Amino acid sequence: MSFWRTVLAIPEFALVLALPPLLSSIIARTKAWFGGRTGPPWLQPYFDLHKLIRKGAVYSRTTTWLFRAGPIVNLAALLTTATLVPVLSQHSLISFAGDIILIAYLLALGRMFTVLAALDTGSSFEGMGAAREVTFGTMSEPALFLCLAVIAIATRSLRLSEMLGPQLFAAWHAVTPALLLVVGALLVVLLTETCRIPVDDPATHLELTMIHEVMVLDHSGPDFAFITYAAALKLTLLGSILLHAALPMPDRLAAVGPLLRLIELAGLALLIGVIESMTARLRLNHVPRLLAGATVLSGLATVLILTRGHG
Amino acid sequence: MQAILDAVFMLIILLDLAMLAVSRLASCIRIFAMQSLLLALLPLAADTLHVGIPGRHALLIAGVTIALKAIFIPRVLERIIRTGEIHREVEPFIGFTASVMIGALLAAGSFAVARRLPLAEAPLSDLLLPASLSTVLIGLLVLISRVKAITQVIGFLVVENGIFIFGLMLLPQTPLLVELGILLDVFVGVFIMAIVVHHIRREFDHMDTHLLAVEANSAGAASGGEG
Amino acid sequence: MLLLLLAIPLAFAFLCLALPAPRWRLVSLVAGGWAHLSVVLWLWRQPVGSSAGAFVGLDPLGELFLTLISVLFAVTCIFFVGYHQKTLVSERVFLACMLLLLFALSLVCISQHLGLLWVAMEFASLAVTPLIYFRLGARALQATWKFLLMNSVGIALALLGIFCIALADLRAGQATSLTINILVAHAARLDPVWLRAGFLLALVGFGTKLGLAPLHSWKPDAYGEAPPPISAIMAGGVTLSALLGILRVFQVCCAAGLAPFAGFWLVTFGLLSIGTAAVFIVRNSDYRRLLAYTSVEHMGVLVVGIGLGLAGSYASMLHALHNTLNKGVLFFLAGFLWRNYRSNQVSDVRGALHRHPVAGIVLLAGLCATCGLPPFGMFFSELGILLAAAARQQWWVVAIFATALAIAFVGVMTAMLPMVFGEPSEPPGLSRRHDAASGADPRWRNGTMLVPAVALALVAFALGAYQPAFVKDALARAAETVVQPSTTQLASSNRVHNPPRGLATAGLDWLDTPAPQGRAMTAQGIALGLGAGQGNKPCKGALIAREPVSAPLQGSDRLSPLVPRALPWADLAQGFALPSLRPGRARALAPEVIP
Repeated sequence: MSFWRTVLAIPEFALVLALPPLLSSIIARTKAWFGGRTGPPWLQPYFDLHKLIRKGAVYSRTTTWLFRAGPIVNLAALLTTATLVPVLSQHSLISFAGDIILIAYLLALGRMFTVLAALDTGSSFEGMGAAREVTFGTMSEPALFLCLAVIAIATRSLRLSEMLGPQLFAAWHAVTPALLLVVGALLVVLLTETCRIPVDDPATHLELTMIHEVMVLDHSGPDFAFITYAAALKLTLLGSILLHAALPMPDRLAAVGPLLRLIELAGLALLIGVIESMTARLRLNHVPRLLAGATVLSGLATVLILTRGHG
Repeated sequence: MQAILDAVFMLIILLDLAMLAVSRLASCIRIFAMQSLLLALLPLAADTLHVGIPGRHALLIAGVTIALKAIFIPRVLERIIRTGEIHREVEPFIGFTASVMIGALLAAGSFAVARRLPLAEAPLSDLLLPASLSTVLIGLLVLISRVKAITQVIGFLVVENGIFIFGLMLLPQTPLLVELGILLDVFVGVFIMAIVVHHIRREFDHMDTHLLAVEANSAGAASGGEG
Repeated sequence: MLLLLLAIPLAFAFLCLALPAPRWRLVSLVAGGWAHLSVVLWLWRQPVGSSAGAFVGLDPLGELFLTLISVLFAVTCIFFVGYHQKTLVSERVFLACMLLLLFALSLVCISQHLGLLWVAMEFASLAVTPLIYFRLGARALQATWKFLLMNSVGIALALLGIFCIALADLRAGQATSLTINILVAHAARLDPVWLRAGFLLALVGFGTKLGLAPLHSWKPDAYGEAPPPISAIMAGGVTLSALLGILRVFQVCCAAGLAPFAGFWLVTFGLLSIGTAAVFIVRNSDYRRLLAYTSVEHMGVLVVGIGLGLAGSYASMLHALHNTLNKGVLFFLAGFLWRNYRSNQVSDVRGALHRHPVAGIVLLAGLCATCGLPPFGMFFSELGILLAAAARQQWWVVAIFATALAIAFVGVMTAMLPMVFGEPSEPPGLSRRHDAASGADPRWRNGTMLVPAVALALVAFALGAYQPAFVKDALARAAETVVQPSTTQLASSNRVHNPPRGLATAGLDWLDTPAPQGRAMTAQGIALGLGAGQGNKPCKGALIAREPVSAPLQGSDRLSPLVPRALPWADLAQGFALPSLRPGRARALAPEVIP
């Protein structure tokens, strides 16, 4: 790793960490535009976070340390993930062979602590949300893993920054159909993991069928700020994996790469906003069908790439 | 060109799976029509790839296929749904998620089998054989896992589509006469099926073949007024 | 000339649609049937043959089946005149569909191109569909739907099979043709993997149309609901066309040296069908459905026979002949009984012998024939198949085959004998009232219905008791068309560790028998039977398994439990107990009788 890259990596990482609330803002503005409203100011999510951080937290007497640990562990897991995922440039802060497996486990760890915290409250409402979160998580994980497997086979690498780098660009020519399927499946995984419509509605926690918002109902103050930020960060990270997979950058564009990625991320947020505005949330018992569909897509992609070889 | 062809075959498989997933009869028919349209373009693509311009043989086959399978048959089926006072849901024996999973397994199986089958010359795309096999298998799955007579017709049509894809490998070798005969037979067959479905609906006010079996058994043996 | 076979039914079908008076339409149907038959008979005088690469042609196999179908159709037309009354559906369309069916079946028989054969066969099942939906109503509708759907899907799979065979040829990298004789001639260069796939798909596909278990479930419904004359044509004619489809593909497989593989599957499916039919025959209370199950059984027998080499094929051809005659007789009588008793139920029809002596006797004869009792041809064909299996030492085939046939025999007889012998339960006023109401003369009707049945029964009996040389010759040639001994087989016989020997024996010996000595020389049996037939002796045991000189005792010991010692027909017994026939003699005999 060259000196300059190391030097540049630090501001890049800082930018990545600063970015997520802005993406939430873009989504919110898009939805507002579709609804004929102006929407909140662009920086509103930052203000919200600032406000929450300053507040004190209220803890129920029935909760244990798990409840307090939940948001913190979740945020820590996602921050660690952020060091492993290439967001703006081709390179992540830390990279080693097999890092995709660590990423998958970190995501699972964050989810597990969120769920445990929700269960710890003893509220049946939150328990319900937790059950759903785990169910859908279980169903989207095979799809995620199969997608990563396809990319790994296509690029013959287990290192995320290589998997999503120029090799993938070459692989797109060889195995277009498989990678198209992967992109489709990843999009569904992204929407599920970040609790977006059509799987979950992030706008409200007042309906019985909500998932994520229901789980975090009892958190307040800095804890809730952590959770909100972590959710946005998760969207950014998974979104950039999707973008890197869908639109790999050839070497000659490396110079303007980060700028392009920024625009693409904004575009993705816009897309999510459009999807949320145009589609209705699925009935709860139809969600497994969607996730099964994603698993099938990625499974087909795996079969395809296994039978056709690569390059 | 090759990438586009690959994508088309992939799309055909995905349409198969979508057929298993959708719950409305009208979407089933629309998916079938889309699949047929894709199929009809394949002979043209084959000729373009091999010779440069589509030959008369390919044009004729494509034209007849589009006219019959992508336009006429879907129209007839949609008419049956629209005019009939029938429940417009698919009503499977096997649940949607389960049938999609089975369909995916069948597709994966076809990939595995197709890999082992020896082919003398490279076909249009190496996805051709798996696409054909999985379309046939998923058509059979639709046929046996759905209750209604009209979905069974659609299943049969999907099987036919799979065979059509398979036949693409033999396009230059098959005489036009035979090919048109096959298309015509399918067409007449579906037409007669449509008439029978119409009668079934008139007779029972619905198109439910397994209920049909129950009622037919309970009806008296000497009920017929043969003359 | 061959086109006349197609033109006649088509022309009369249009005539049926065009003619205004119902009476003339019936005349047109009968005229069409008999004109077709006369052309077929004329073709026997002037053989057409088939040239390489031609789409249509008439080989011995097609000719045999064509004749059977044509005879059955012509006789059915007569029966239909007697059976026919006012219909609920359009009569024009009905009669036209019957003639179109004849057209399609003729096309199946004369087509030498697999694709054309498929088109014709699909056309046949489409033409039959309106005929089944004759009675209207729920049950008929269900039967029609089952028939239509299962046959369409089956035949779609058969198409896939045919494509696979085309692909097997394509692999050779030369211009391919789906014409049978070209495929057979170049069988050695076919790719075995694709050919196997093609054969299995075609077997399943055409097997659905044939009604092989487990894809037979449409058959009882369709045969039970269609009017009996249509059931007769379906059981005796349409099944033959489906069998022809299987035989054509099998022909190619044999030529490519895949006979052991294909034969195994044929035997398996056949035995499964016989077993299934036997189970369902027992305690069935609807006599038309029961007859449908016997049809499943007979189709199984046919297929088993074909899977057992030349000897079995010969027996199968014999079986096909008698099956056609027999199904005609039985379904005609079913129609007769339906008209007179207005019921499909076994329990409602009692003592036919007392009320209608002629019908009773013919029914009895038909039942005996269908169960394979000795005076009738099916006895010999089934025995021939048993012996062919025994000769190849496939004892499990022998055991299942014999057991299932015995169960079917008991089932049919316990159900249907009371129909013949029982006490007439109800006063026959019902039918008389009905006939009076319809204003028809029952005597005239009954006569017209019985004459064809009696005629077919007499022919069946005569052919069972005495087989003229030309019939035997036709059967043998048809069997040889399926399992032809050719150079490719000789080549392939080396692969199955059998040294190529004389041409006459080669047709059989490539099959998977363990050692040359233990092999039964069935060709000798055929040669022997034909030779005896030329001496104008009745020679029903034409198919005799023989052991070569080298192991005479061993072989006859093994066969002995199966051999009925005291059969009245001298040459049958002679066939079994014949002194060891030298292979040389068989070879000397064979060219004379098997041209």
